[in-house]
Amino acid sequence: MTYLLVLIAAIVVNNFVLTYFVGICPFIGVSKKLDSALSMGIAVTFVMTLTSIVTWLITHFILIKLNMPYLEYVAYIVVIASLVQFVEMFIKKTLPSLYKALGIFLPLITTNCAILFVALLQAMRSYGFLESIVFGFGAGVGFTLAIVIMAGIREQLELSDIPRPFQGAAVTLVTAGVLALAFMGFSGLLSA
Amino acid sequence: MTIVLAAALMGLIGLAFSIFLVIANTRFAVEVDPRISKIEENLPGVNCGGCGYPSCSAYAEAVGKEGAPVDLCVVGGEDTSRTVARIMGVQVSDELKEKLIAVVFCQGDSEASAFPGDYEGIPDCAAAVYSQDVAKRCKYGCVGLGSCVKACPFDAIHLSPTGIPFVDAEKCTACGKCVAACPRDLIELHPISHDTLVYCKSQDPGVIARKICKKACIACGICVKAAEKDENGDSVRMKGNLAVVTPEPYSAKPEYGEKCPTDCYATDRNVVNRRKVLDQQKARNEASASVAR
Repeated sequence: MTYLLVLIAAIVVNNFVLTYFVGICPFIGVSKKLDSALSMGIAVTFVMTLTSIVTWLITHFILIKLNMPYLEYVAYIVVIASLVQFVEMFIKKTLPSLYKALGIFLPLITTNCAILFVALLQAMRSYGFLESIVFGFGAGVGFTLAIVIMAGIREQLELSDIPRPFQGAAVTLVTAGVLALAFMGFSGLLSA
Repeated sequence: MTIVLAAALMGLIGLAFSIFLVIANTRFAVEVDPRISKIEENLPGVNCGGCGYPSCSAYAEAVGKEGAPVDLCVVGGEDTSRTVARIMGVQVSDELKEKLIAVVFCQGDSEASAFPGDYEGIPDCAAAVYSQDVAKRCKYGCVGLGSCVKACPFDAIHLSPTGIPFVDAEKCTACGKCVAACPRDLIELHPISHDTLVYCKSQDPGVIARKICKKACIACGICVKAAEKDENGDSVRMKGNLAVVTPEPYSAKPEYGEKCPTDCYATDRNVVNRRKVLDQQKARNEASASVAR
């Protein structure tokens, strides 16, 4: 039950993009087309889950044992950078077409703050091992959900008659804001 | 002491991950043919799709891996073909390919064609055609909303003030983007030196066509008769309610259109800079001919 709660909380109630406002860069940058948004979401989910596992291990078996938890930021960055490199190699070998579709945004997952946030938050909330895996996975699914919804809306926006001052970035940011408002509706889900 | 310990720890973690990455790199190594990246460097990089591949890198890969022809790049033309051939170590034929350009088969501009009202939907030709709500009455003619203009990666096609696209022969690379963009298939690729064509695609019976557009083919067959008289009957043929100039070998002469009542059998329409490009081509052919000698 705890795992289910952690999962739902990470996906909708505390959606990383629309409630914590982290990972906005790819959320705006890769949400123009539905299929590339989906593959970006999947790549981020993969990296987040892996990061969650590895950072939990590092925190609990190295940093806490050696009494140096202040190193967590530096250590997490190293972990994330290496994992993204690994994912890049993996995708390049196994799915070359996806590798081309993601382009520059694949290495840029490194600088996606949502991933560092996953690592920091699970350390802060002192989740157990399984919980932190579920949490990382849920956060990734939440990111995917947000970016896919956004891409769907933006594909519709392409065809709508938008007043000139609102075209382009303006209407995208307004959309993101309205989407965030809508997601606030989930906040009553867990307390009830 | 703490600082040293922290630095040592971070160094160890970093080392562990770099070893992991090195192992991963050898496990997941992707072998790339060096010729492919070299070909890609020498392609124009505009990803127009004129070669039939989705992007320049896809074409480079096709040449390197599947042995696709080296002279498919229409944008780079002659020079690029030679460079690619040199990289692949093959010969290109010395014969210069005739440059193709896009030709717009409609002259029904705002002066010639009937406009019953304004179209106010999505400013896109395909949308206008699918919604059946087009300002121009001819159901074969140019909608004039410029989807071809938007599709052109080379800024080579523009709308005239009267609403018909015209092609800049100098900039046009015959990539075919506008051909695909036109919902009424009014754009075709033809060799630049053959500009005597029937600039209409209307299949309406003559009476209706004449009512709708001053420059429509009304299927009177005068050009066909003139061609038959010249013992060149194959060069222009009636296809339904439309006279069509037969491509390959494009033997139709401009004179056959002298008596065309609607001026749709015509020469050099909807194109600018054609003469300039022809002159350049001629000069280049002469230069290469003298080199060959």
